[in-house]
Amino acid sequence: MDRRSFIKTCTTIAVASMVDAKVFSEVLAQQKDSMFQAYKRALLIKEDGSPLKESDLKPHETYIFFYPHVATPCYLLNLNEEIPAQDISLKDGKSYKWPGGVGSKKSIVAYSAICAHQWSYPTKGYSFINYYPPDKPSDTTKKAGIIQCCAHLALYDPKKGASVIDGPAEAPLATIVLQEEKDGFYAIGVLGKDQFSQFFETYRADLRQQYGSTAKAKEPVDKCTVMEVEKYVKEVIRC
Amino acid sequence: MSKKSSGVDRREFLVGVSALSLSAPLLAYTKAPKRQKAQVVIVGGGYGGVTTAKYLKKENPGLDVVLIEERPFFMSCPMSNHFLAGLMELTPLCFSYNVLEAKYDIRFVNDKVLGVELDKRVVRTSSGYIAYDYLVLSPGIDYDIEDKPFYRDSLVFNPPAFKPGSEHIYLKRLIEDFEGGDIVITVPTPPYRCPPAPYERAALIASMIKRDKLKAHIYFIDANERPPVNSEGFLTAYYDLYKDIATYVTSAQVRDVDVHKKVVSTSHGNFKYEIANIIPPMKASSLLEDAGLLKKGQKWVEVNPLTFETSVRNVFVIGDASQSYLPKSGYAAHSEGKLVAKLINARLRGKEIKEEFLQMICYAMVSDREAIMTETAFRYDAVSKRFIPTHREDNQRKESTARRYEEWARGLWRDLFG
Repeated sequence: MDRRSFIKTCTTIAVASMVDAKVFSEVLAQQKDSMFQAYKRALLIKEDGSPLKESDLKPHETYIFFYPHVATPCYLLNLNEEIPAQDISLKDGKSYKWPGGVGSKKSIVAYSAICAHQWSYPTKGYSFINYYPPDKPSDTTKKAGIIQCCAHLALYDPKKGASVIDGPAEAPLATIVLQEEKDGFYAIGVLGKDQFSQFFETYRADLRQQYGSTAKAKEPVDKCTVMEVEKYVKEVIRC
Repeated sequence: MSKKSSGVDRREFLVGVSALSLSAPLLAYTKAPKRQKAQVVIVGGGYGGVTTAKYLKKENPGLDVVLIEERPFFMSCPMSNHFLAGLMELTPLCFSYNVLEAKYDIRFVNDKVLGVELDKRVVRTSSGYIAYDYLVLSPGIDYDIEDKPFYRDSLVFNPPAFKPGSEHIYLKRLIEDFEGGDIVITVPTPPYRCPPAPYERAALIASMIKRDKLKAHIYFIDANERPPVNSEGFLTAYYDLYKDIATYVTSAQVRDVDVHKKVVSTSHGNFKYEIANIIPPMKASSLLEDAGLLKKGQKWVEVNPLTFETSVRNVFVIGDASQSYLPKSGYAAHSEGKLVAKLINARLRGKEIKEEFLQMICYAMVSDREAIMTETAFRYDAVSKRFIPTHREDNQRKESTARRYEEWARGLWRDLFG
C-alpha cells in the first residue's frame, strides 16, 4: 500500500467512525464494488439555519447545497412521485444498488451537480447543468424530467440514479446519499463514480479565487444550507 | 520529468547530459534514439491524438504510449476565431504537452514524422525509427493546392488560419492593423475543417468593423450556395446585423489570387482587397498519401466507419484526415480518439467493444456576443450500411448560446489536458 492510499484509507476509517454505524453498514452492505464513500454526516438546513423539512421542498424546483466538501455542489430535487431503488450498472462493469428517493413519498433525491462528462458545474455566475421539470422541456432535446448539461448535451435521468439517457457522458452523476431522521435530512456519503478529484484538479485557480485555497475548498461540511439554485447562480442557462 | 520521458531512460539521459554538458547545448533531450519501440504510437498532437493518448493511459496506465507532434505546444483551432476577433486571448487556447508526460506518463516526442512504413510497422521521424504494435494517425489536414499554384503565394500573404499556430497570429496582426478598405474572405466547398468556421469568422470580422465604425466592406465569397450548417442562423444574422457592410457572394469559384495587386479573381468577378483571408480547399495530410493509405485521387482516408480502422489491421486514422460520417472538427476528433482508445485497450485484452455512435455539437458566433448552434446524433442502419443523422439546429442567436460555446470549449480542454 503506498503512502497516499494508506492516508486515504485512514481518513475514510476516521470519517466512517463519525457515521451512524447502523446506517453506514446498511448502505455499504448493499454495495458490491465499494462504490459508496462515507463522508462526515451533514444536516440539511434552510438559509435561516433551521433544519430543512420535506414541506420546504417544492416539487420539481431545483435546490442547491454543497457536500461533502464546501466547494462541491449538489442538486436536491423533490420529484413528487415515489422513486424506487434500482441497480445501476457502469460501463466499466461495476454496479451499485441505488437506494431511490427519501421522504414520506420517497420522492426526494440528491446528486452531485458536477457533470460526469467534462465537469461543468453551477458557479455563482452560470449553471450549464440543470434540471428540466416535466412541464419545461429542453428547447434543444425536447426532453423533460431530466438533468441536462448544455455544454455538450449530456442527459441524465434523476428518477434512475442520474443514469445516462443520451449524450457523451460515460457515467451517471454521483448520488448524494440522504438519510431521513427525526430532526431532518442528513447527507451521509456519496454513491457511484464521483468526479471530485478531477474537479479539484481542474478548477484549482477558480477555487483558490473563491475559497482562498484548494485546501479550504476541500474542507468537509457538517451542515448543508439548501437554497433555490437561482439564489446562488446569477444566470441559469437552459437550452 | 517522467520516468520514460521522450523514450530516453534515466541512465542514458544522465550519460548524455554529462557528455554534452561540457561542449554542447542540451540538444539530446527531446530527440528519440535511433530505434525504439512502443505498444501504441500516435502521430499528431491535436484533438484526436491527445485524446487517444490520454484515454489509452487513463484506462490502462501500464501501456506504453508515444505521442509524436512537431509543434512544441498545443493550440486549439476551436475558439480561434474568438482570438482573431479579440474576444479571447491566445493563452487559454494553448497547452503544454508536458502535462501529458507528467500526469499520464505518455512519452511525448517533439519531432516531425517523415514517413510511416506499414509493412515494417515503424514510424520514421527526423531522429530515428519508432516501432509500434498499434498505430493511430491523427495528422490533420493539408491545403489542397497542388493543381492551383496561385494558392501557394496566397498562403504566405493571406494566411488561411485553418492550421493552428503562426497562421492565426499573422492573420490577427493583419486584422489589428486594418484601418479600412475592402476585406475578402473566401470559402471552399466541403469537406474542409470545421464547416461553420468561415461563416463565423466573416460575422466576427463584420462585427469588429461595425464596433470600430471603420470605413470598410467585406466581400464574402463562398463556393457554396449557402452555409452548409446553420444556414438560417447565419443568413439571418448577416441580413439583420451586417447588410450595409458585407456582401455575400454565393456559388463563386476562386480562379486566381494576385498577391501583389491584391485582387481575387472569381467566377463572379474580380475583388480588390486591403486584407484577404483566402481559405484553400483541403485534403488529408500528405503523410497518409506517402504511407499508401490514400489511393490515387482520394483526398481523405477510407476507414471502417464504426472503428476508424484502416484496411491495415491495428492502424487507425482519426480526426479530419479520415473520411467519416462526422464533420471535420476538433470535437469529432476528440470523440473518435476516445472510441479508438477504448477499442485498442479492449483488443489488448483480447476483446472487441460494442458499436458506439458519436454525436456532434458545433457552435458559432454570429456577433461579438451571440451564438447559434447545431447538434447531430447518428444512428447506423445495418441494412443500408449508412449512418442516419438526426440534425437539430438552434438558429436563434442568443447570448446564452455564446456562454455555452465557451463552456463547450473549456470542457474539451479540461478533458484533453486536465
